[in-house]
Amino acid sequence: MNTALNLLHLLTPESILVETILVVLIAGLFKATAQKRNMLLSLTLIGGVTAGAMLIFQPHYGNIANGMAVLDPLTRFIKVVVLGLSLITAVYAVQSNIRQHFAEYLALILFTAIGMMLLAGTENLLMIFIALEMVSIPLYLLAGFLKQSSASAEASLKYFLVGGVSAAFLLFGISLIYGTTGATSLRDLAQSAPAVTRDPLFLAGLVMAIVGFGFKVAAVPFHLWAPDVYEGAPTSSAALIASGSKVAGFLILAKFLAIGLAGAAGSAASSQLQPGWLPLLAVIAAISIVVGNLAALSQSNVKRILAYSAIAQSGYMLLGLSATGGTALISVLFYVVVYALTALGAFGVVLHVEQRRGGSQLHHFEGLHQSAPGLALCMGVFMISLAGIPPLAGFFGKFYLFAGALGSASQGGNLGLLWVVAIAITFNAVSLYYYLIVLKHVFVTPATHPAEPVTRRNAATFVTGLLAVSVFAIGLYPGVLLDPLRAAAQAANRKPVTAAPVQPK
Amino acid sequence: MSYDYLLLTIFLAIALIFPLVPLGLAWLWARTLSPAKPGHDKQATYECGLESEKPVQIQFQAHYYLYALVFLVFDVETVFLLPFAAMGFVNIPVVGFLSIMLFLLLLVESLVWAWAKGILEWK
Repeated sequence: MNTALNLLHLLTPESILVETILVVLIAGLFKATAQKRNMLLSLTLIGGVTAGAMLIFQPHYGNIANGMAVLDPLTRFIKVVVLGLSLITAVYAVQSNIRQHFAEYLALILFTAIGMMLLAGTENLLMIFIALEMVSIPLYLLAGFLKQSSASAEASLKYFLVGGVSAAFLLFGISLIYGTTGATSLRDLAQSAPAVTRDPLFLAGLVMAIVGFGFKVAAVPFHLWAPDVYEGAPTSSAALIASGSKVAGFLILAKFLAIGLAGAAGSAASSQLQPGWLPLLAVIAAISIVVGNLAALSQSNVKRILAYSAIAQSGYMLLGLSATGGTALISVLFYVVVYALTALGAFGVVLHVEQRRGGSQLHHFEGLHQSAPGLALCMGVFMISLAGIPPLAGFFGKFYLFAGALGSASQGGNLGLLWVVAIAITFNAVSLYYYLIVLKHVFVTPATHPAEPVTRRNAATFVTGLLAVSVFAIGLYPGVLLDPLRAAAQAANRKPVTAAPVQPK
Repeated sequence: MSYDYLLLTIFLAIALIFPLVPLGLAWLWARTLSPAKPGHDKQATYECGLESEKPVQIQFQAHYYLYALVFLVFDVETVFLLPFAAMGFVNIPVVGFLSIMLFLLLLVESLVWAWAKGILEWK
């Protein structure tokens, strides 16, 4: 019974979120009034902020049932981030065109948040799979929440089918890895993996697991669902898919590869290629960057541009993952968090335009700087940050990422990954074109739409502005985000490896 | 290492032979021993039943599935409650008692929710 109590102790924030869901669902049953949506949102935010506070005041380290649920500073940091991203999505949802079943929509966002927090806080293959499904299933529903819209239904069905196939791949891969190594805990896996790196069954399992994760993070060639889902799903759902689930997905992919399979890495250096997950990752990263950036050039819908940009950004993040050792993990996490903030903000602007002008095609953005100058400025910050131009946060993300990849010592001396980095930098220049096309419509092209009333301030635009300010601030002082990440990662490395239960501070 | 691949090859061969041989036998059987004699009765949808009276391609209401889902939830609930009942109320530790109560709370709330949403009304 001690285990059960320890588990509850360790997962207090998640439990608070579950209680919030119950309260929100019951509150949603009462008669609909004008203030009801705001009331439901405040309930959600109160529950979420309480959970976040509990997260901060939890004990520093915990490890239950051999890595089923773990807690360390890095895990806690990512948990706070995904919780915050989910709550911002909830704020967006109030402004979106979801009229029916609003309480259920908020509840599903909270379910996703719980799944992402569990995913961040586990080092066991079984729990990784379950948590990943806990993230995915509410996301399928969120994508199809506009029941009257056929685009939304299509997005949901595509996401569901592809997600189901990817889950099957992942599970099969995990079962093969378990079959050859006999371990589900990542720390045990790290012990037994080096002995079987040449076993074809193990390699098949490794490849299948990476294919499964590749679907989740929308890397080429497993990316085909992303544009349709981003375009068809309600904008607030797409924002959550683009931000929160990406952070959690990359953290767990990084843990899976760097902790569990560090012994089976191989080498992707052009001079000394060795089988393992590194060459696989490097190749996926390279083609994601090429295909994502090229396909984005010909899009006319801003949501689709963001989707292809997300695919390309996945490529950059995978490139960061294939640079092992040293500060590589920190630079990837820095990049992912910055990307999530930026993408969430960009979706906030898209949401505003969609509500005001009835669509998210490029021409709907024309003359935005006249009707909503603040939001236009925000869009400028987000797009330029995504393109990686100083002094915004995206530049430092890319800088650390490329620097880490070039200096990665395990790649057979310096410059082993030069071929991927060269592709990445070349196509980063290409990506500038479509980001600037969006900005051209926002700032330069005169408005062809009839004049609309001046924007009234609301919570969603406020949050979007906040995100823009934070992207700007992180660009000016990268330490704001980098120092906590670095401190958390160092503290996480120092942690006792024994499977002790929750330890007090 | 080559031994591993040999095993995989054998596995692949068996995996192919296992479904293909019965299919082939069935095909041979149909080809050689049972000549095709199509007739009105044989081509009917229900060869050994009554003629269908109305069009059979009717639509089921989506409501039916919601109903079935709720049924499923409360059906599976029994599996969890049975050990609770079988142990008697005496021998259960506090944590176990609390967790089963929490489980019941979840069930009650889901019932209230489904009721208020009108899922239990047959429209």
